[in-house]
Amino acid sequence: MDLSRILEIDDLTVGATTPGAAPILDHISFSLSTSEIFGIYGESGAGKTVLSRALANWLPESLEYRAGRVAFAGHDILGAGAREVRIGRDIAYIGSKPQSSLDPTVPVGVQIAEKLHSVRPEWNGRECRDRVMQLLGEVRIPSPKERYWDYPSKFSGGMMQRAMIVDAICAEPAVLIADNVTQPLDVTIAAQIVALLHDLCMRHKMATIYLSSSLPTLGQFGDRTAVLYQGRFVEQQPFEELLASPQSDYARKAIASVPRMWETAEGPLARRQAQGEAPLMKVENVHRTYRARKRGTFNTYSNVQAVRGVTLDIMPRENFGIVGESGCGKSTLTRLLAWLETPDSGSIVLNGTSLGALSSRDLIRKRNEFQLLLQDPYNALPPRTTVGRMIEESLLIRSRVPRADLRKRVIAAMAEVGLAAELYDQLPNALSTGERQRISIARALILDPKLLILDETLSALDQREQGRLIELFSKLQEKNDLTYVFISHDLAMVRKVCTRIAVMYLGEMVEIADNHDLFFDPQHPYTKALLSAAPTLEEKPFDPSDFLLEGEPPSPIDIPAGCSFASRCPKAFGRCRVETPRLLEHSPGRFAACHLLDGDHAQAAA
Amino acid sequence: MLILEFLVKRIAQGLLIVFITSLIIFTLLRVVPGDPVRLIVGGMAPPDVVEKVATKMGLRDPIIVQYGRYMRGLLQGDLGQSYLRPRSGMIAAGGQYVDPTKSDMALVTDLILERLPFTLQLGGMALLFALLISFPVGIAGGLHQHRWRNALAFGMQSLFVSIPNFWLAIVLILFLSIKLKLLPALGYQGFSYVILPALVLAVEIAPFIIRTLTTSLGEVMQAPFIDEARVRGLSRRRIVYSHALRNAAVPLVNLLGIQLSTLIGGVLVIEYIFDYPGLGNLTVVSVVGRDFPVIQGIAITTSAVFVFINIIVDLVAYLIDPRVEI
Repeated sequence: MDLSRILEIDDLTVGATTPGAAPILDHISFSLSTSEIFGIYGESGAGKTVLSRALANWLPESLEYRAGRVAFAGHDILGAGAREVRIGRDIAYIGSKPQSSLDPTVPVGVQIAEKLHSVRPEWNGRECRDRVMQLLGEVRIPSPKERYWDYPSKFSGGMMQRAMIVDAICAEPAVLIADNVTQPLDVTIAAQIVALLHDLCMRHKMATIYLSSSLPTLGQFGDRTAVLYQGRFVEQQPFEELLASPQSDYARKAIASVPRMWETAEGPLARRQAQGEAPLMKVENVHRTYRARKRGTFNTYSNVQAVRGVTLDIMPRENFGIVGESGCGKSTLTRLLAWLETPDSGSIVLNGTSLGALSSRDLIRKRNEFQLLLQDPYNALPPRTTVGRMIEESLLIRSRVPRADLRKRVIAAMAEVGLAAELYDQLPNALSTGERQRISIARALILDPKLLILDETLSALDQREQGRLIELFSKLQEKNDLTYVFISHDLAMVRKVCTRIAVMYLGEMVEIADNHDLFFDPQHPYTKALLSAAPTLEEKPFDPSDFLLEGEPPSPIDIPAGCSFASRCPKAFGRCRVETPRLLEHSPGRFAACHLLDGDHAQAAA
Repeated sequence: MLILEFLVKRIAQGLLIVFITSLIIFTLLRVVPGDPVRLIVGGMAPPDVVEKVATKMGLRDPIIVQYGRYMRGLLQGDLGQSYLRPRSGMIAAGGQYVDPTKSDMALVTDLILERLPFTLQLGGMALLFALLISFPVGIAGGLHQHRWRNALAFGMQSLFVSIPNFWLAIVLILFLSIKLKLLPALGYQGFSYVILPALVLAVEIAPFIIRTLTTSLGEVMQAPFIDEARVRGLSRRRIVYSHALRNAAVPLVNLLGIQLSTLIGGVLVIEYIFDYPGLGNLTVVSVVGRDFPVIQGIAITTSAVFVFINIIVDLVAYLIDPRVEI
């Protein structure tokens, strides 16, 4: 037999244990040679996770194998060969939720060594530990010897995913299953992880199955790619050819729905400020610092500077985008804009009224005008409340509305966001993410707001549903005269919907510009890095390798002196480490905080 | 150094709690009706004798002065002398007159130190029995959420929680001690005397342990990291015993700290029923006899034990799960 075929999947069919249910995986067949990288594309719900679990003989209790064979080096792991093949040693798995993959009460390194020792008992404890430490270094976790003893809660998402990569590859598996590994990560970090994983697969000669819901990410691997749709492979060919000439309708649509940032029709035009028009929301030099008790000391606190002097004007009817990676202070800024928290200093003025000056009673009334939509529609909705009740609640808090009238208004709001009236009396448990998100929108909309603050509202949705909601938002904007603030890490979405965009890094705005300017002529090196790392299928207007960032942002507790981006900036020079650049309007409507631009300016002036 | 900081802080807090407890007990004892002097000198003594003795004992001074005097003694490790118990061990009451102002009354410190080991032994055994009963049942129930083992855990805890301790005590004495003559019941003449009262107390706390263990273990078993441990290649035994139980233990340890108060309450009744020579028994007798110094001494000791055990509990919880704030 052909030993270079490390994994052979034959006619694999998986379905729910309840008889009669449609199969989730339907006659999947493929094979994988040693050190080959095989990409599988599928949108959420296509069966990617079930497939990756099925390959590792790791189906949840509710599912069962109905037919087929998964053979590892000739051993059928579902049947007779199960004893020969050890999951975790021969076939390793990396999932999309690194933060909850390890026991929170045991140090990360210890757990990886524990796993290594239990799948490779022939290696003693010391060897295991040394190997894990060495690999932690290899995936570029800084000071691996110390990090070995840190608990999972001390790791950022990106660091944790690196640790999980170590966990998967430490036992030298022949097959690696990577299920959407970059999905929860920030773009600059995800780009690092993809490059790292690719490099490791090559070096350790692992056959890798890379499942992803993002075509651009698969493109970075560039090998044979399959398209999974409703549990079936609808198509299989090398990535370049798949892009150039997709055979199936589904693949064609999937490729078309990948957001374009540059080769696209112009996004919404910047809404020019009418003469003398006042901003709807005026944010003036707001700061927010959290005090966290320092461990190991008696009474000292460390200051977590989440938002450091943000100044913004949000004009009526504009779509203002705020982008940045996790930990940059977006969420805190969102909470400040929604007035869930008050700034330590600075002010927020809405429609001429300073929010800080309002009494708590007036504030509740004022809150009608600005509403917040949250990212996770699962946690944002009370589980034991009917849909109608959820939506009418915000009305009931503010005023007495007759019963019949109430129902009418709620159903009208539901219709406006595209929810069927039958849902009124139902509980939300059976609803999809998109429908849940619509409930949140209806909930806000029923108050007739002027400003909607959308905190990653669209990032939990797949491309299609996201497109539908964007359409809904623009329809609602025209009808109800709405202004949106989109807070997001998703550049493509921001490119598609926002008129003006602010880029945030470590609590500060580093650049604010109109949509087109920001994407085609970014000023700040961080903006450039962010755009380079963005997963798209197009040629970028600049060379991404010029701007690939190393490392992670500094901690908001110890912000270095000078420019906060200097530690990762490929272009930093002496002045950057000493003097903090200010956000200046270098050309009309384009603000950036960078000393490099100053130089240009000075040179241009000279 | 975090642990050192924690200990210093918590011990300081603990001292404050003990101080406040003593103040409350001290005040309440002197405010509630019932004059200890009347009990000491006997019902037949003329009022002027009562007053004389009371003044001599300092019981007519303002409460704050009395408290100050008491605290001064306390700082030197002196909890005062019993009103009722002479050094010889007999209880003075009614007819015979023992001068309570003289030094032939027993020292409270001695009384407590003599009884405390018995109570600690009883409490410790009760806890051990409770853990022995609840661990197998609770773990089985937690691992098999929808099977008969869970039903067993539920049935057992419902049964145990509805049994009154005094009733169980009497029934056990009747059957195990009188009918079957397996175990001794009353008094204390050796280790075997602990078993029956400890069993009764164990039945009282076991249901809470079973409940916490089943729910928290059941929850932990649903956690993604337990699921993922399987594909990482860990054995089922390793997953359950070194990860699931470890995570499920945090709520359990906290519960044990709280259950201590149930234990202390139970000890009062159980020691009295079994005539077990512990602190609980001493408390009941002292309260009946209005023996202020002894009651105060016991209250302070109990609150100190309580504070101490809760410090240990928090420390253990932190050592298990580093995310716990201490």
